[in-house]
Amino acid sequence: MIPEDLRYTAEHEWVSGDGSGPVRVGITHFAQEALGDIVFVQLPEEGTAVQAGESLGEVESTKSVSEIYAPLAGTVVARNATLTDEPELINAEPYAAGWLVEIVPDDAGAVSALLDAAAYRELTEQS
Amino acid sequence: MGASAEPPTSPLRRSPLHDRHVAAGAKFAAFGGWEMPLEYAGGGVLREHAAVREDCGVFDVSHLGKARVTGPGAAEFVNACLSNDLGRIAPGQAQYTLCCDDATGGVVDDLIAYLVSPDEVFLVPNAANTGEVVRRLAAAAPAGVTVTDEHADHAVLAVQGPRSAEVVAALKLPVAHDYMSFDTAVLDGVELIVCRTGYTGERGFELVVPAAGALAVWDAIVAAGVRPCGLGARDTLRTEMGYPLHGQELSLDITPVQARAGWAVGWSKPAFWGRDALLAEKAAGPRRTLRGLVLTGRGVPRGHMTVYAGGTAVGETTSGTFSPTRKEGIALALLDTAARLADGAEVELDVRGRRLPAVVVKPPFVQPSVR
Repeated sequence: MIPEDLRYTAEHEWVSGDGSGPVRVGITHFAQEALGDIVFVQLPEEGTAVQAGESLGEVESTKSVSEIYAPLAGTVVARNATLTDEPELINAEPYAAGWLVEIVPDDAGAVSALLDAAAYRELTEQS
Repeated sequence: MGASAEPPTSPLRRSPLHDRHVAAGAKFAAFGGWEMPLEYAGGGVLREHAAVREDCGVFDVSHLGKARVTGPGAAEFVNACLSNDLGRIAPGQAQYTLCCDDATGGVVDDLIAYLVSPDEVFLVPNAANTGEVVRRLAAAAPAGVTVTDEHADHAVLAVQGPRSAEVVAALKLPVAHDYMSFDTAVLDGVELIVCRTGYTGERGFELVVPAAGALAVWDAIVAAGVRPCGLGARDTLRTEMGYPLHGQELSLDITPVQARAGWAVGWSKPAFWGRDALLAEKAAGPRRTLRGLVLTGRGVPRGHMTVYAGGTAVGETTSGTFSPTRKEGIALALLDTAARLADGAEVELDVRGRRLPAVVVKPPFVQPSVR
């Protein structure tokens, strides 16, 4: 449940794309499972400039709320509007239909600085 | 991230069904000093909630306390301590009641009292408060009346939902008795109590089973296709009903007058703990009362969020959740009576810095169908 072709953060988010264009951001299978049934998502407006580590919004399950952090600095260019009515897509398909936002990175090289699948797997096995 | 859990101070106690929950892939949470299932693999709060509203679910609530008061005049003694009037029910019936602090009227615990006979009352307090309830009763008990903590002696299985009677009847257990009454039966040589009670707002049964016989009863219920449900769904179900949870809607700082639980107080009784304080508060009018809130927009309220009316803070939420049935945010809140907020009044809720609009309503949020 940790796709090899994605990059990851210690906050249990994934990033797809090489950084030359918009990268897609979501939460991992591990994260959605820990949260439980997701019932509400709050995402930033398109055009929002974000710094790495800054809050992007919130994902709420029946039992708790979890902040989403920007995995890298850039500008939000798309948000997954389907999640407004179907937040459960994050549980069902965290790496596909449950994506959260797309960000154009300020620095294309920021993507390769994130964790690869092996490093993220190691992190989840420790926790 | 992750669920809120109590810090482990002492080793958590476990249900006799613990291994079954592990095998079913349960996620666990600390609750009142017990490690209990929060939700199950393949289930989750929403599916488990829906099972109870639409079909049937089974909860292991063995963490609930059990205590027995026996001896000549046991019922009369309990009636002079706990708030509700045992004179309103007959042996074989159960009653929701409160153990209040005698000086303040604050709530030590809310519990179910099962009237077995004039000389025996079985009590089901909350897990965390059982020791204190037993201590207070034992300290007050007259000679000849004994208060025994039987916390770990019994498991409690709650079978809840529209199909619950069919499931319980298939086990050859009695189902014909009225809501809030109980019967005893024998299943595979194990004697158990079958109560028409619950905490979900659905028709249901709570089975009090000797700990050693719990596995067989659990297995038989699950084999009947009943979905195991965790305390996560139990909380969303009870919140939809507006049922109080001790530590949130009731506490030593919250009286039954404030929590609008006066229906569980035998006001005409000559004696019960907290009588003077509660009569005085009732006469003067409480400074705050428990109300329901429904968010008019999107969002999920939680406990301890400030409620504003016209820019002024008027109180705080005690519980809040996403209502799986209504698909909107609901909350219970203690609101100042001085703010004179009628049902239908518009208020705002401070959700982590955002002000979200809400409407004051009279709970329940979902109509119960317990009978």
